[in-house]
Amino acid sequence: MTIETGHIIPAWDMPSVLPERMRTMAAILRDPYPVHWDRDVVEKMGLGRRTINQGPLGLSYMVNMLHQWTGYGSIRRLRMTFPLPVFEGDHVVARGTVTAVREDDGIPVADCDIWLDRDGVDRPLVGSATVDLSALDQA
Amino acid sequence: MAHVIPAEAEIAALVGHQFPGGRYTIAHWENYLLTECTGAEPMPDDLAHPVALFHVPILGAGTSIAEMFALGQAESGVSIGIESYDWEFFHPLREEQPYDITGVITSAERKVEAKRTFDRIQFQFDLHDDAGAAVARTTVTWHYRRTTQ
Repeated sequence: MTIETGHIIPAWDMPSVLPERMRTMAAILRDPYPVHWDRDVVEKMGLGRRTINQGPLGLSYMVNMLHQWTGYGSIRRLRMTFPLPVFEGDHVVARGTVTAVREDDGIPVADCDIWLDRDGVDRPLVGSATVDLSALDQA
Repeated sequence: MAHVIPAEAEIAALVGHQFPGGRYTIAHWENYLLTECTGAEPMPDDLAHPVALFHVPILGAGTSIAEMFALGQAESGVSIGIESYDWEFFHPLREEQPYDITGVITSAERKVEAKRTFDRIQFQFDLHDDAGAAVARTTVTWHYRRTTQ
């Protein structure tokens, strides 16, 4: 399979962002920010009664999409911005397209635009990635 | 609640601040739970999920999210906004592999825009393996929003 500019990366679906995963994540990260586990705090911010997903967790959905496409260990770089929060219960889909295919020290790599799509309405995470294409059949 | 905005010079003086540095090993249980949180299956060959590149550098460099908030004199956790994360992987992260980690503040400056004032602070962390090879670098850029009225 030859990868070219404009190639659409197979999407990765997160049907529902789970609050219990945010709590586990907060413990692992030693993250003291209560919006990830305390709905009262989020409500006081005027954002409703749903906890807010950690930025790195949203980023991880993009990682899973790239792993599904180019394999484990293929990610060389990720740059991510976080224009909007992701809330518990959200249905989000990691998506991406290839913007360039090139060689880096003889290794084929793809530069990609990647983003998190929420119900086809908005993009709470937007960024770019570079992945190693070696594991794909470039014939 | 009234907040005192730190002096611009205090923020600028953060550039060059180095964290103590140290070593960090991603435990199997830690990687298993972390990977599960992402909605993915455990990975083969002792590979660690790349999302570990958020907390491993911070904790391994001898700091914490709370201390990073405090260094920039954050008004609260709620006042922090993420500008970007830039993660570079020179080799995949692995479980049970000790990494030497350093961390430094590379940029700190006040930004005044039409509707908001914030301090933009950038942290850079580097991971090396026991052979001294660079494994990964992460650049964290946060906004410390200031209440001006």
